[in-house]
Amino acid sequence: MVFRAVGNQWRKRWSRWVDRRLPRADKRAFAQSNIFILPTGMGWIFAVLLVVMLLTGINYQNSLIFLLTFFLGVVFVAAMHQTHSNLSGLELTLVHAGEGHAGETIPFLLRGSSGHAANLALSVRVDGASEGSELSMQHVDRNTSSDMRLFVQAAQRGYLRLDRVRVETRFPFGLLLAWSWLRPQTAAIVYPKPLTPPIPVAVGVDGDETGREARVQGQDHAEMRPWRLGDLSQRVQWKRYARSGDMVIADWQGEQGSPHWLDFASFPGVDTEMRLSYLTAMVLERAQSGEVFGLRLPGQDIDPDTGAKHTQRCLRCLALFGIDKEPSKVKAK
Amino acid sequence: MMGSRGPDKKPNARRPVPQLPGRALLWLIAAFVLLLVPQWDRLPLWLPLACVGLAGWRWLVHLGRLRLPGRWFRGGIMLVMISAYLVTINGGFTVDTAASFFVIAVGLKWIETRTPRDFYVLFFILTYLAAVNFLFEQGMIWTLLNFAGVMFLLIGLQILNAPDVPNALMGGWRRLLGMFVKTLPIVVLLFLFFPRLAPLWSVPLVSGSAKTGMSDSMTPGDISNLAQSSERAFRVAFGGTVPIPRDRYWRGLVLDQLDGNTWRQSRPEPYQRLGRVMNDGGVGELGPSEYDVLMEPTGQNWAFALKGSAAASANVYESGDDLFRFRRPADTPVRYRLSYGHSAGAPGALTSAEFRQFLQLPSGGNPRTRALADRLRRENPDAAGFIDQLLTRFREEPYFYTLRPPKMTGDSIDQLLFDARRGFCAHYAGATTFLLRAAGIPARIVTGYQGGEAGAGGDYLIIRQYDAHAWVEAWLPGQGWLRIDPTAAIAPDRIEMGLQQAVADEGSFLENSWTSPQRYGDVALIRWASLQLDKINYQWQRWVVGYQGQTQLDLLSRLPGHWGLKELGYFSAGLVAAGLLLAGVLSALRQRALVIKDPFARITEQWHQLLLRHGIEVMEGETPRETAERVARAVPAAAAPARSFARALYNHYYVGSGGGESGDQAKERDRLKRLLRATRKQLNTKN
Repeated sequence: MVFRAVGNQWRKRWSRWVDRRLPRADKRAFAQSNIFILPTGMGWIFAVLLVVMLLTGINYQNSLIFLLTFFLGVVFVAAMHQTHSNLSGLELTLVHAGEGHAGETIPFLLRGSSGHAANLALSVRVDGASEGSELSMQHVDRNTSSDMRLFVQAAQRGYLRLDRVRVETRFPFGLLLAWSWLRPQTAAIVYPKPLTPPIPVAVGVDGDETGREARVQGQDHAEMRPWRLGDLSQRVQWKRYARSGDMVIADWQGEQGSPHWLDFASFPGVDTEMRLSYLTAMVLERAQSGEVFGLRLPGQDIDPDTGAKHTQRCLRCLALFGIDKEPSKVKAK
Repeated sequence: MMGSRGPDKKPNARRPVPQLPGRALLWLIAAFVLLLVPQWDRLPLWLPLACVGLAGWRWLVHLGRLRLPGRWFRGGIMLVMISAYLVTINGGFTVDTAASFFVIAVGLKWIETRTPRDFYVLFFILTYLAAVNFLFEQGMIWTLLNFAGVMFLLIGLQILNAPDVPNALMGGWRRLLGMFVKTLPIVVLLFLFFPRLAPLWSVPLVSGSAKTGMSDSMTPGDISNLAQSSERAFRVAFGGTVPIPRDRYWRGLVLDQLDGNTWRQSRPEPYQRLGRVMNDGGVGELGPSEYDVLMEPTGQNWAFALKGSAAASANVYESGDDLFRFRRPADTPVRYRLSYGHSAGAPGALTSAEFRQFLQLPSGGNPRTRALADRLRRENPDAAGFIDQLLTRFREEPYFYTLRPPKMTGDSIDQLLFDARRGFCAHYAGATTFLLRAAGIPARIVTGYQGGEAGAGGDYLIIRQYDAHAWVEAWLPGQGWLRIDPTAAIAPDRIEMGLQQAVADEGSFLENSWTSPQRYGDVALIRWASLQLDKINYQWQRWVVGYQGQTQLDLLSRLPGHWGLKELGYFSAGLVAAGLLLAGVLSALRQRALVIKDPFARITEQWHQLLLRHGIEVMEGETPRETAERVARAVPAAAAPARSFARALYNHYYVGSGGGESGDQAKERDRLKRLLRATRKQLNTKN
């Protein structure tokens, strides 16, 4: 246990050191100062093999085995140089962080550009990300650039920033591994997961929540529907429950009022995230049918409009509702 | 193909083979075949054939024509091959058997090679096999072959690690050869200066099986079999003058016990614990009385020496009877050094046990020979006179020297001397010893080599298996052991000019070795070429293969500073460190050159510097446009060129296809430069 604790501590320390060494930036040119290199498992076995060969050479006093051992040893050292220079000179840029809904995969467009030497057989992945978000065998020929798309699963709405994009190579012999990280600044924006509201929701007239509430209380236009998870207990029709054993909710009738506003306040008693999901679904629905709509969130209104830009603006608002601004930018040294 | 028809009932029984890159597999198979070549003649034929077959199977699997065998089938193949192997090696453990085990292991591995990890296992085994091959064959051609095999392996690895790079093969070769050329000086320096330690422990013999060459017993037909081989036995360089042909008797063994038709050693070779390898065959210039022998592996302890020699290198010692022995069987080529011309000193007397031994004969048989011995002895009471008359009889009566003697059975010596009168050196040596012993003169057979051909340039002699010879030594009181060679009396050409001349009329020289260049020794060009080749190989063996601990220290003692092993260790470590440092510095310089070489990076850098001079710091991670906006806020006059600059830069780095035509790039660059100048002008006018 103690060892594990110590190990963890060292891992943290190492991680902090790497973070200091590689400040956040959307673009990183890999060079001597930020490339790490170590033998792979196969590299260690190869080193042991060389020692065994050397011992064979010594014990049999065989010059040619010495020669072969030295040759392979020097090849190993040269391979260290090769593997290193296969990564160095590469410039990796986060060109575009995509947008999408929570639960979907978000595309990140990366571009690798190489200098006067090619960068071959690279693999790129997000540290700590799930399987499948790895790109392998990426080649960037000399003096060109090539685009790579990383797909990252988004768990929740808000900003999705890749902590570390690891780029590594084992070229040419697979005996050594050189790697480094890109720590992008730019984050992707993740919209809430769209959830279709239980029934056509009242699209509110200007903010008279009380009136609506009253109508529901009076059950004039209320509609009955079965109970679902997330409904408040006050709104269950307990009398009816006592009569028939059905849990029924009295809901308001949604045809009244201005059709232009999607209102955060139209889901009394529903959890914030759920409301955002409902609103997201409604935004998508309106956008699809080309209707004019506005979005009203506590503290910010988006006036009714239509079109792709408007839709994106609304979705971003929903994505970032209640979330602080992006972490402040790290200043250059 | 097994059970491929119909749907697979058990999909898990045979997992699909992950595709290893085909070309990588091909190069690995090619390397395997190449590295098998040095093993070919010592493996039982079925083994390499089976292994190549299994490799072919793996290749067909790759092509989709076959499947890898299932677990049981594979187990069956493994069981069959390993039991066949165990029967073949018959319990002995030598490097030879270990090497054949490697070959089997690789062969069996082919049919379970699925993943890159398996590929690496094969790579490691084959690399070690290349090293082991050097224990068996150290000629220059073999060295090239082994290195080629290792190169093939490295090519295979490169393709495995980046199979779909365009031009992977050419690129791989170029990279590898580039590496080879660049690192060659370091390899050479390491070879010269890495401290050659003495062996750390005793290792198993390279090979336990007998090789072509002398054996420790002789039936008359043996040496004529050896005469069919033109393999090299050893090469000798002399410090002084080369002895004339009739003095070139290379003594190896003394056979003094006749059992039936077979001559043996009465004293078996003493048991010796297997010692460490000792390849140090002496260093420095040869003295005028010294000679240096480079012997091919025999798998035996005996060394060959001229009469009257003394050991001059530590790896041979005199074992009595003026014979020399190694401390460890010659399982690899051995170099040793002797000096000659030592007179034996005053001969002692034979002990009575020795006397009995050297007069030993079977109790019966060969009556006519015994009668002849009695008659000659009566005519010559003096032993010297007896020998003279015997040799005169051989010289003057019609005895023939031939590689095709008739079959002689029963009283074979009687038949040889009185009926057939045709024989090879072993026949005549045996008969002579028999006669001497029957006449009461102590005698023994000596086997070894006689003669030798001058190598190219006359620097050394080449002694081949067909120079194998048997002769007689007789004990004369007051004179000691005296060499008697009946062959010299019957066929003087054999002694003076060699076997080829001696059997020229018969045409039996190397009659079964069509490919031996020695067979065509009378064609000047072939002879010249084969001698030149031999000379190159000889120098290779002497100076590269033979570069050992003492040679190294000898070389260093000639350099200023008188280095020892410790200094060598420091030097090697320093060498590797310096190499690494140099590579690091070079790559750093190249990196820097690279940054400055990219014109866009240079322009961007200038832009940043310009803004910094005017108090606008460019933030890490800021897009050019954001920077330009801040410029616009600070100096509105510079807004237009700054925004254009930012847009152009953005377009270059993020929008442009990256490569682009070089003409477009030049245009972009010019535009950026122009905008940079405009911005500078605006910023400067502000101040």
